[in-house]
Amino acid sequence: MISVKGYDNDRFDRSSRIGWMDLERIRSARCLVAGAGALGNEAVKCLVLSGFRDITVVDMDDVVTSNLNRCVFFREGDVMSGTKSEILAARASEIDQNVRITPRCMKVQEMDDWENFDLIIGCLDNITARLHVNANAYYFKIPYVDGGTDGMTGKVQTVLPGGPCLQCSMNKSHYDVTEARFSCTGKESVFYVPKMAAEITTTSVIAAMQLREAVKIASGCENRCVRNAAYYDGMSGETTVVEIKRDDGCDNHFCGV
Amino acid sequence: MGIHVTVKNATLGATLKMDLGPNETVYDIIESAAEFWKKEPKAYVLRKGKYLLRASDTVMEANLMNNDVLELLPDPEGG
Repeated sequence: MISVKGYDNDRFDRSSRIGWMDLERIRSARCLVAGAGALGNEAVKCLVLSGFRDITVVDMDDVVTSNLNRCVFFREGDVMSGTKSEILAARASEIDQNVRITPRCMKVQEMDDWENFDLIIGCLDNITARLHVNANAYYFKIPYVDGGTDGMTGKVQTVLPGGPCLQCSMNKSHYDVTEARFSCTGKESVFYVPKMAAEITTTSVIAAMQLREAVKIASGCENRCVRNAAYYDGMSGETTVVEIKRDDGCDNHFCGV
Repeated sequence: MGIHVTVKNATLGATLKMDLGPNETVYDIIESAAEFWKKEPKAYVLRKGKYLLRASDTVMEANLMNNDVLELLPDPEGG
């Protein structure tokens, strides 16, 4: 009769065989996931399976039917019956009971306790929210791993304290997009996010790349992170890594921050 | 004195030749290329080799050379 060896009783035995991975530091890292949509679902799945135990998820939206082609934790019964952050937190907790996932049903712009996090995973769907997270992450010196997708293309950018930030790589085309999202009625301004092409394979690739960066950062291997952004093309299968120069004229680097 | 560059469309694989003056900016290249390919109004960036070019830099500041090949990349916004 074959007996189960001790190493098969340890959930993280195979992870611990990756020499540079520091599971103790990963377990204690306080991680914020900004956005509980497609990237957020995949990112939280990978966080839990990677051994992170203190996760906060922020998102203000409810689940809708069109989320179901790419959100692994959402079900038909969730449609319009709960917020994305609460459902994601509850379902992902089932993977590992030792993980604490705290949902926050709010806009990321309403957060006021950034200093309570060691790492931020950006899973947002608009540039305005990205710029807000980027500015706070940079100010509070919190490493920020941003992800974005559009159909078969995607991008991951790692922002480390002192290095180039998200805004350093942006140009007028980004601000034109941001402006097009706002509609002023005279009484109020409305923020409109257009529906973009999205499918699970690109989402999975980008979230996995984000989490690989997060694991490196949490393990103290920041020097091995992607510098600074990786652009992924799912049709050719190519990933292009580009360096971004820090822009000293960027708002976030004012006064040499 | 102007220079000639080739801009590659990362999505289509198509290329475009451009004549540039020293004071034109990287953003001018992005805008012209996006217009030429009738790109949707989305965010784009331009790379030369392994470097992302700063949009506010002029051709001279970006150190663009004759016959350089640049690539226009979409900067995905969705999550």
